[in-house]
Amino acid sequence: MCKSPPSKNGLKVAIIGAGPSGLAATGYLACMGYQVEVYDKLPRAGGLMTFGIPGHRIPASNIEESVKQLENDYGVVFKLCTKICGSEPMHQEAGDNYVFDYKSLGGRVEDNDAVLICTGTWKSRKLNISGGSLPGVYSGLEFLFPVRAAQYNIAKMEVPEIRGKNIAVIGAGFTAVDVVHSAVAEGAKNVYLIYRRTRNEAPCGTLEMDLMEKSGAKCLELVSPVRITGPDRVRMIELARCRLADPDESGRCRPLVCDGELLNLEVDLVVAAIGEIATPPFAHDLGLEDVRKGQIRWLHMTGMDSVFVAGDALTGPSSIGKAVYSGLKAAKSLDQWLTLKRQNRLQEYTGEIIRKEDLR
Amino acid sequence: MKTLYLDYSKCIGCGTCEAVCKFLYKIPKIVMTRTSYGLTVPLYCQHCEDPKCMKVCRQKAIFKDKQGIVRLREELCSGCKTKNCLVACPYVAIMCTGRESPVSKCDMCVTRGALGPACVEMCPCDALMVEDRKDLDKRETPAAREAYERVRKYIICPDCPAPGS
Ligand SMILES: Cc1cc2nc3c(=O)[nH]c(=O)nc-3n(C[C@H](O)[C@H](O)[C@H](O)COP(=O)(O)OP(=O)(O)OC[C@H]3O[C@@H](n4cnc5c(N)ncnc54)[C@H](O)[C@@H]3O)c2cc1C
Repeated sequence: MCKSPPSKNGLKVAIIGAGPSGLAATGYLACMGYQVEVYDKLPRAGGLMTFGIPGHRIPASNIEESVKQLENDYGVVFKLCTKICGSEPMHQEAGDNYVFDYKSLGGRVEDNDAVLICTGTWKSRKLNISGGSLPGVYSGLEFLFPVRAAQYNIAKMEVPEIRGKNIAVIGAGFTAVDVVHSAVAEGAKNVYLIYRRTRNEAPCGTLEMDLMEKSGAKCLELVSPVRITGPDRVRMIELARCRLADPDESGRCRPLVCDGELLNLEVDLVVAAIGEIATPPFAHDLGLEDVRKGQIRWLHMTGMDSVFVAGDALTGPSSIGKAVYSGLKAAKSLDQWLTLKRQNRLQEYTGEIIRKEDLR
Repeated sequence: MKTLYLDYSKCIGCGTCEAVCKFLYKIPKIVMTRTSYGLTVPLYCQHCEDPKCMKVCRQKAIFKDKQGIVRLREELCSGCKTKNCLVACPYVAIMCTGRESPVSKCDMCVTRGALGPACVEMCPCDALMVEDRKDLDKRETPAAREAYERVRKYIICPDCPAPGS
């Protein structure tokens, strides 16, 4: 956003989460002269760009370089391995093993002129069927995260045994695709993709389905998992056949489970890549539900004065581009708010209508 | 002669280019497209050697500047109904805005001066770059060529010229 560091404007901002939305906002605010501090619970910046998306797609060195530049030239301070907590009890999520420092959100708010929350979606939807919590059942992120972390030689995490195993991957979104490719690359014996609709409805598109099959995975369409069984860990997954019924609100045909014989697959691991849910650690404190509905006073500001939110934490799972856009917009809004506040002119602008689409 | 070059083999379709363009100019000029096949890529102005959009504009509102950047002179655009420029562009790179200036197109961020195009700066995969047209063939790897062909087959008209040709 700028070629050389500007003079400092004397204001301090804390950004929580160093994913694409947080990093984009950091760049914008550093260019506006803010002193920026970035907190992330993980040992490296980049968020899902570093720890979710397979490494061959985004070169990790690019992210490292940008972070170095922000640190050295723009005086941005990165506080990694630091998890920020609100007043609510904390839930466990992927990547918590790396945290060696916990800091409170309240403290960040006191120490800074504004705080921007860019914590993404780190809680995976759980498979709600019998046997869904047997050892050997993973969510997409639980599976991908240790594999990715191991590639960075960051120990501390148990990587699931993949070599020579039979793996069932449930879902047909981009997370499922990444899980399939990782499993194949790590030497799995058989990788089955299990999807309840057909490839034509797959969110990842038929191209990705073709590529997965080319890589050696087997794509099973029109099947839905009913039960996972095994004495002490996953041994077998039972699938029911489905057929397509009328389209639902999303415009895609609803899958209906048919009666009749179940299909049994012998598997050692099941990965449920069926979506992530936004988990800003402080949803309640911030009244985030209201923000999503558009009941806000200032663009991207939460229910707490001077605390802003952006990226997947606000919108739910999206893409890097959408997260970047959201981060940039929030940063701009934050800057405008602080500027007007400093000039004691906030009053003039209250009551401006914010449309729901402004939040997207 | 400068041009914007996208190595489609490096592009992962994340949409960061579109995001930053939209942030700066409200209406993005590099736009994500997804085929029914599931290929997600940005389409953008290639600042053609011999721009079709420029040829068909009766107002001469589109011109090529000294650096080779194909630009729009907004004050000359009459907002004609036929929108020949839009139809002529094989890369779907002229946008209808629905605002005062009826169409818009990429100007390689001339207003940002030495900063250069924002999409190039922000691409996490280093897939976008500013290149001299005559160096394009050196820049283009076999993988890039293959990926471009894939895009051309599904999105861009099959008879369009390849960049650099
Ligand atoms: C497997 C997978 C594959 C994907 N593939 C693609 C793709 O190919 N193309 C694409 O465009 N998009 C892809 N996406 C989506 C994309 O990664 C996300 O939309 C994007 O990263 C969201 O950015 P964000 O900044 O909002 O959040 P994130 O990238 O999730 O970053 C959030 C950051 O906040 C940190 N954090 C969370 N809570 C706390 C806390 N309490 N304290 C401190 N730090 C915290 C996290 O450690 C993380 O670093 C994929 C997602 C997944 C899961």
